[in-house]
Amino acid sequence: MIQIKGLSFRYPGAEHAAIRELSLQVRPGSLFGLLGPNGSGKTTLISILTGLLTPAAGSLRIDGRSLPAEVRDVQKFSALVPQEHAFYPRLSVMENLKFFAGVLAIPQAECHARLDEAIAVTGLESFISMRTEHLSGGLKRRLNLAIGLLNRPRLLFLDEPTVGMDPQSRRFILDTIKRINADGTTVLYTSHYMEEVETLCDEIGVLDEGRLLARGTLAQLLGERGGRRLTVTLKAAPTAEQGRAFSAASGHALTGDEFSLAECSEAEFKRVVDLLGAQGLSVSRVKYGYGNLEELFLHLTGRQLRD
Amino acid sequence: MRVTALIRKEWMLLLRDWHALFLLFAMPAVFILVMSLALQNAYAVHQGASFHYYLVDQDADAASAALIDRLAVAQEFKRVSSDASAAALEAEVQSDHMQFLVLIPKGFGQAMSGAHPLAVKLLAGPGVEPSVYRLFEAELHGAIARIYLQQTLNTLAARIPGMDAAGIDLDATDKLLQTESLYKVAGRNEVPSSVQQNVPAWLLFAMFFIAIPLSTTWVQERQQGTYARLRSMGLPAKSMLAGKLLPYVGINLLQVVLMLGVGVFIVPLVGGDRLTLGASPAALCLMALAVSFASVSYALLIANLVATSEQATIFTGAANLLMAAVGGIMVPRFLMPPLMQTLSEYSPMSWGLDGFLDVFLRQGGVAMATPEALKLFLFGLACLAAAAVCIRLGKRK
Repeated sequence: MIQIKGLSFRYPGAEHAAIRELSLQVRPGSLFGLLGPNGSGKTTLISILTGLLTPAAGSLRIDGRSLPAEVRDVQKFSALVPQEHAFYPRLSVMENLKFFAGVLAIPQAECHARLDEAIAVTGLESFISMRTEHLSGGLKRRLNLAIGLLNRPRLLFLDEPTVGMDPQSRRFILDTIKRINADGTTVLYTSHYMEEVETLCDEIGVLDEGRLLARGTLAQLLGERGGRRLTVTLKAAPTAEQGRAFSAASGHALTGDEFSLAECSEAEFKRVVDLLGAQGLSVSRVKYGYGNLEELFLHLTGRQLRD
Repeated sequence: MRVTALIRKEWMLLLRDWHALFLLFAMPAVFILVMSLALQNAYAVHQGASFHYYLVDQDADAASAALIDRLAVAQEFKRVSSDASAAALEAEVQSDHMQFLVLIPKGFGQAMSGAHPLAVKLLAGPGVEPSVYRLFEAELHGAIARIYLQQTLNTLAARIPGMDAAGIDLDATDKLLQTESLYKVAGRNEVPSSVQQNVPAWLLFAMFFIAIPLSTTWVQERQQGTYARLRSMGLPAKSMLAGKLLPYVGINLLQVVLMLGVGVFIVPLVGGDRLTLGASPAALCLMALAVSFASVSYALLIANLVATSEQATIFTGAANLLMAAVGGIMVPRFLMPPLMQTLSEYSPMSWGLDGFLDVFLRQGGVAMATPEALKLFLFGLACLAAAAVCIRLGKRK
């Protein structure tokens, strides 16, 4: 559905490029999760994909159409759900939906059906007359999504659609997105919530400083990319003699009560544990690979603050 | 269909925004009412005295009595009687509690035709406008000259046998000047009232204030992500501009109707003069459309230049005040020095004011208003083009 090759973009006057030679493919029908810290380039990438920004370099094709040349065609079958509440607070739910249906030039004959469909999918039936400024945060998010469904998109861009929601509303939105995807819509989804991406997305990309650091299914990322990291915690720190003997035998330095290797094969893992035992060192905890996406994410993007 | 949706949305948003409605309709209506009534006497010619003076006659002879009688004829100036001393009256004028003090010195009449005439003293308060000061000075000077002439004629008649001073009619000089205002109402010459002078100026001022609600709405759309959403839906820049331009021009035209209604119906109800709408409805419509197009296009440009609602409000307010000051809204252009008058020719508000005055005061038709209307349409087109460029540049940001 989406093919990106060598894409670059820099905001005027910015020191660094927001997107740097990024290449990525998103399969038709997939639910692709794009993870990244603040300022990593997620929203910029979505803005380029929706035609709001024009890239400086690289090639971009969506469903066979080249961007930015054929952006109008792409906009007809795609929809953006921005992270802001992108509608009018002084209009009611129905007035907002009718307005955006008008902007999308949905034919009058189809309009009612489309409105009913968007309202039903997002569960807004009881709130259609309410002014949106009086809606709760969760209902606002649902309306934001409903507007994005009006043109029955084949490609849906969701930019952090669950920010600031309570667990019930978030679950409703996630289930709705799953249903939309199951009906055949390709979804590109950005979020800060790792557990959301873990449970929702069938493919994940990790973006930082405009570069794609990792891409694959959750199993691939946790198994292949993160599966070779070994962390061993000892019950007590080794003596100097124990440390020297272990280092000589294994080729790895051992000083404190924690020992880790970034890349460690299964054979090496067994050898290291055996050598520690041979030196009489008791192990309190062993971790091999990443237990969840957040650990992988922090490993890939680092722990320093971004804002 | 898209533009229809945009227009409908703008109307609904505006009708639910009481602050904007107040700014666009109530405030200018009240402003026109207040300014028309406040300046009524400044433009009036038949409304009676506007200025007051004390007079101390230390001479009390025939000449001073004649001078007092003559001054009493002036409609704009009214004597206020007081038994206080000259020093006390001067103190009142000094503190601006009275505008003028006229002191006729003792021996004034006797010394008038002698070698050492005594001058009448005119004292003006610090707050008296120079133009009013000069007007009263001229009035007083005319009265003194007339008495001096009468006394000289009397002296000559006493010396020249057969000359009859009483037979010379000094009032005949009044017939040697004929004045006529070229402002006409229903074919009759009249002097324009304050309403006639003020409504066009403040109407124009109010119309340009449309930039505040328009630009803040646009900025809010950008900040709320609605603008990005609309663009992601493939809404072209021209539709976005048309979607703002058309409803706000409509609002501007409603402002015109309301302000003119205030001038025609409300101002007379509270004691002011009725506004007359000129001789050409077509010229009035042309000017209303031209000003509206210029002000809304200018507002669209501002909306695309500023980043926040605060910037939009402050910039629009300051720019409008500046344009109004330069354009002759606050200070009539004829009062400005030549350099400022030249500068004034470049203010769109000045073009608008000239065009409206063509209609309201000069009784002009479409032909007379066309040059100003054309300038305003061109200004509007330039602003629209600049706004479109801003939208396009924004795409690369």
